This record gives sequence, structure tokens and C-alpha cells, in this order.
Amino acid sequence: MSFVLESNADGTTIVHIGKALDFRNAADFKKLCQDQVRNGVRNFILDFSETGILDSTGLGSIFSLYRQVSPLNGQVVFASVSRPVQVVVQLTRTYKVFRQFPSVDAAHKSLA
Amino acid sequence: MAEHSILVVEDEHTLRRLLEYRLGKLYNVRTAANGEEALVRIKEEVPDLIVSDIMMPRMDGFALQEALQDELDTRIIPFIFLTAKADEQSRLKGLRTGVDDYITKPFDIEQLLTRIARLLERTRLFQTQLDAKIGQDFSQKLMPKTMPEVDGYRIHFHNSPLEHGGGDLFDWTEAKPGIFFFTIGDVMGKGVRAKFYAFSFLAYVRSLLHGLLSESVSPAELMHRINELLMRDDVLVDTFASLLILRWEPATHSITYVNAGHCRPALVHTRGAQLVAHSDMILGLDARTEFIDTTLTLEPDMALMAYTDGLMEQLMPDGKMLGESGILEVAHQAHHQNDPIDALLTHTLALSQSTEFEDDILIFWLERLA
Repeated sequence: MSFVLESNADGTTIVHIGKALDFRNAADFKKLCQDQVRNGVRNFILDFSETGILDSTGLGSIFSLYRQVSPLNGQVVFASVSRPVQVVVQLTRTYKVFRQFPSVDAAHKSLA
Repeated sequence: MAEHSILVVEDEHTLRRLLEYRLGKLYNVRTAANGEEALVRIKEEVPDLIVSDIMMPRMDGFALQEALQDELDTRIIPFIFLTAKADEQSRLKGLRTGVDDYITKPFDIEQLLTRIARLLERTRLFQTQLDAKIGQDFSQKLMPKTMPEVDGYRIHFHNSPLEHGGGDLFDWTEAKPGIFFFTIGDVMGKGVRAKFYAFSFLAYVRSLLHGLLSESVSPAELMHRINELLMRDDVLVDTFASLLILRWEPATHSITYVNAGHCRPALVHTRGAQLVAHSDMILGLDARTEFIDTTLTLEPDMALMAYTDGLMEQLMPDGKMLGESGILEVAHQAHHQNDPIDALLTHTLALSQSTEFEDDILIFWLERLA
């Protein structure tokens, strides 16, 4: 239940979400992102290529991140959105604030 | 797995390191050389348990223990005294001031470990029981005990909250004679915390609804105000909720709804069931979110079925969730049954080849009779 982080010199952090982001590890995700924001990171790319589970607690932790960085002109974007994640995003209509990209590279290019 | 944190307060360097090493295998250990240092550590992060020496320079164990009594946060930390002072006087003084256990040096480290485990377990049990009790209490308060009764209609409601479930909420009010408002929602998160936020949130929604009714009866306007509130309220910051507000006027058989990212209701009739499609973004994310009212008419023999995500996320044998298509199927099957919700739940469990639901279940069924 850990997340793999990649920080880039341009102030963008890529978080590979892994198999699940749910009530079991949402607090870890939140803390991890808070530390990044404290270190000056403003843009986040969330890689969902392997993600099978995103529950409401997990989604809530992403929303918290969005509320932290958006006043600082930061962005949270989604890459390689898997089918289960897409269902949640559609249901909550949050595709309006989280831009989606087919790959981490594509997301990175757009933020650069 | 280092989940519990322990603060070791001991002035003797060797013993401090020994304890740090031995306890560190099981717990997340921090150390302090005297009471003053301990207070600094506690301010940084409140530990789950304190093991402290009595005789120390600067601030001794008794003074530390006393300082912790000042605040509720620190008063409840389990406290074990560890001391060379084997005399009865110290022991009694310690027990009087709220020390939970007392071990005299030279001590057996296994004995200390057993006592720590026992104290932590007792605290955990107490916390679990308290959580369950509070959770149950909130769950009951979040749900109404009665439903409106209107000629030509039947209304069914079902709610089965789980102890570790989330923040489902439901409420209704007859705003003006013949105009009913229903609110169905889900505050994100799990456990007592989610229930507590759901409870506070519902109180806000209720007061807003009553306050607004003199000027407007638009669900979208109401939703807009609730979102604004979530965006700027300090207590509710970091609270995200999906919410469905329905305004029902039985005289004209109309339902005007606004949906903020909530599970889409089903409209059930003899030919089948369809989704009540339009919805806007979830609450608490963006102050600029626009909400739109949509009106539909309930024809004779038609029912509207609203629910929370526990039903939709029930897992099927193939590992996928029931989903919206599954919802439409079970809702259609339930139509014309004596107790449609009971039929719907039975059918869902049969489909999922399971005997129980994995999450909170909340279903509301509003049917215009044929």
C-alpha cells in the first residue's frame, strides 16, 4: 500500500497510485502530498494505470490536495485513468476540474 | 508494524538507549532525557503511551505527570512509571495522580513489554467501543423516523448503517403545504468521523433550507448556497459530499431535482427503468460549480428510486460492482412488489452471491400508484 513518487526539477511530482487508493491508505497519500506541497511542489500528476480501487475516502484525499494547490495556481491532473477510476470520476462529475491524459508523458508535456 | 508511538523519558543514557532499542522493535519510539524535554516531544506529537523515570534533573516524573493533567489531550495518555525508587510512598503518590502502572528497577524487559501491550490493548478496546456507540448514535440521528403520507402515493425507505460505514444522510421536510423536500447524500470518508461531518452538514442543510424558503424553492439555488458554505466554512473545510435534493409536489406529480455528484436515481415504470441522467459536480471542490434544476413528471404507476453508493458498489461474483446498469435491473424487478426495497435488496444479494452488504445501504422509493 505504498505510493511511488517521482519529483521533477520543474516543480511537478508524479504519484504512481498503485492498485488502490481507499480508506486504508488515503491518510498516507494525504500526508505524502502535504509534504510535497510544503516543499514547494504545485503540480501533481496522478498515475492511475494500475489502479483497480478508488473509493470515496481515496477520492476525498485527492480533493483535499486539489483544494490545497488550486489557490497557489497549482494543478492536479490524471494520467492513464483506469476503468474503475473513470466510473468514480464520471459519477462525481469531477472531470471538470481534473484534466485527463492518456499517459504520464502527455500530462507532463502539458504542464511544462 | 510500528503503529503505536511510545515516548520514553529517562535521564540515564544507557537505559534510555536500551529501551529505545527494545521497544523500537515493536513500536515507534521517541525519547526525552527529562520532563521538560518530554513536554516538547509531546507538543510535537501526542504519543500513545509514556514510559517515564521518576527521578530526573530539571523536571522529574511527578512534575511531568502533573503537567499532563492540564489538558484533556494529554491527560488520557497511558502512563507507566519506571523507577529505582522501590518505596511504597512513591508508588502510592504515583497511583493517586493518575499513573496507570508502576515498574521498579531493576526490571525485566519482558514484563515491561507485557504491561505496555496490555495498556495499549485496553485503550484500543475502550476507543473502539466508544466509536461504535457514537457511530450508532449519529446514524440514528441522521435518519428520519417517519415518512410523508400522501394519497395516491406510497413511500418506502430503508437504511442499514454499518459500524465502520460512512456518512450517508437522509432528511425530508414539508416546506410549504404540499411541497416536500428530500435530501439524500453521502459525506466522504469512513467511520465516526464521516458520521460526525454528515451530522454537522445535515444541520447546516436544514437551517439553510428553512432560511431560504421564504425567497426561493429552487433546489439548485439551495445547492449553490450549500456549496458556498462548504467552500468557506472552517469547520467543514475538507468535507466533500455528494447530495441529491428533490422537491416533490404531489398535486402536480412533479419532481424538481438537483444532483451534486450523487449516484443517479432510477425512474422505474412497467417497461423498464432509466437513469435520471443530469448531474453536476460534487460539493466542496469548486466554488464556481453551477447547479441546474431539472423537472420530471411521475406518471401513474411510476416510481423514483434514490440510493447511496453502498448499493451500487456491491461486488458481483466477477469482481465488478453492481453499477448503474445493475441498479436499473434490480429496480425494475422490484417494481410492483409489495415491499419494493426488500425485493430489490434480496435480488441484489442473489446477484452478488453473498449474504450481506459490504457497506451502508440507503434506499428511498417514491411511487405514484396506478
